[in-house]
Amino acid sequence: MQENYLAKWLSGELSEAELAEFKKSDEYASYQKLKEVSGTLKAPEFNVDSALQTLKEDHIGKAPKVITLNPFKKFLRVAAVIAVLLAGSYFYVSTLDESVITGFAEHSEVTLPDNSEIFLNAGTKVSFSKKDWDTKRNVSLEGEAFFKVAKGKKFTVSTDHGTVTVLGTQFNVENREGFFEVTCYEGLVSVTHNNTETKLPAGSSFVVVNGKIANSTKLSTAQPTWMNNESSFESIPLGYVLSELERQYNINVKTENVNTDLLFTGTFSNTDLNMALKSISTPSKIRYKKEGDNVLFYAGNATQ
Amino acid sequence: MNNVCEDQIFSSIFKANSKTIFNYIYYKFGNEEKAHDAVQEAFVKLWENCAKVTPEKAKSYVYTVANNLYLNVIKAEKVRLKYAKGANDRTNESPEFLMEEKEYQEKLDRALNALPENQRTTFLLNRIDGKKYAEIAEMEGVSVKAIEKRMHLALKSLREQIDGI
Repeated sequence: MQENYLAKWLSGELSEAELAEFKKSDEYASYQKLKEVSGTLKAPEFNVDSALQTLKEDHIGKAPKVITLNPFKKFLRVAAVIAVLLAGSYFYVSTLDESVITGFAEHSEVTLPDNSEIFLNAGTKVSFSKKDWDTKRNVSLEGEAFFKVAKGKKFTVSTDHGTVTVLGTQFNVENREGFFEVTCYEGLVSVTHNNTETKLPAGSSFVVVNGKIANSTKLSTAQPTWMNNESSFESIPLGYVLSELERQYNINVKTENVNTDLLFTGTFSNTDLNMALKSISTPSKIRYKKEGDNVLFYAGNATQ
Repeated sequence: MNNVCEDQIFSSIFKANSKTIFNYIYYKFGNEEKAHDAVQEAFVKLWENCAKVTPEKAKSYVYTVANNLYLNVIKAEKVRLKYAKGANDRTNESPEFLMEEKEYQEKLDRALNALPENQRTTFLLNRIDGKKYAEIAEMEGVSVKAIEKRMHLALKSLREQIDGI
């Protein structure tokens, strides 16, 4: 009889000869009975479903579940890189200066973080740093703009002709090629031009034409005239008047035998081109021809 | 993807193995409460480590956890088992026969409780849960031959106890 034959018998692995031999033994009946009765044994009740429910409610719900990140690792890596790039570019962009540009025949209005306002005349670019605004109120200007500055720290307008600093006031700055004009409408404005500081009280203006400081005159309006769709000039060379005309109407102006250094005093409308052309040509005793977007001023007897 | 963390797969592993774990721990220690706890404990551990355990390894994982849980910690109590009624088709059961049967069952109960824990567990897993020797060997972490030895010894001891040798 082989080793562990009782186990083999129970699992039905005995050979026929072995089984026959075992059956002849005295104990066989006892083992047979043991096999039968032990086959009717039952373990205590165990309800699989309720145990599973208990497990899910009592343990898994509360247990800090270890979640596999494997399928997401790659995704997370990509996401992290994107997040870093986004954050970086956001930071970079936020440090960049904010710019507002108006084209010819365009006006615009900018409200600064401290509720100061800038009104942009045609053909103008202003830029400022939104991020550093709290510490440094600094605006760079190319073109012409009217400023209404809220009270606060020093407010600086930087131009390539000089800087204008104020504390809280309303003023107009015109910074064109060869032409620089600051007009103060309220408060006190300090203009630094060629390292010389000039204090500008309300109602006066500071004009530089071709590097020469021109005489300033008293104002009669509370706002620059261009805010009311008019362009006003006090003894300004005709060339600058015509450039302004080009900007306001987005047209090309040419001259023929016209002295553009002639000083012009007067106003032209920013809404009616024919009126404006007459406003310029009549006092200057020149004539004009208009063809589409092109205007030619030429010498001659003034039109009737 | 086949992942134990998935509720469906986890539940199916639970349904396939929880009853056996319960019985296994019960045969060892005769303590129903501890057997219930062992099931919960083993599957909580499996859930916590579901990312590391493959579905193929999950079965032996839960048996190992359950097995290690009460290692030398609790004292074995008396294992109480029930007997299925009407397991045989004899209809004319005389009172004498019933008496004899009852007497035999009591003897078997005593004999089972007198068995060493590992023999009793092996014997009952085979007789009640119908586990093959190979499966029991896997659960216990021993060779099939060792299980056959335990089975042989269990049968021998039981017969001797019952027959009063």
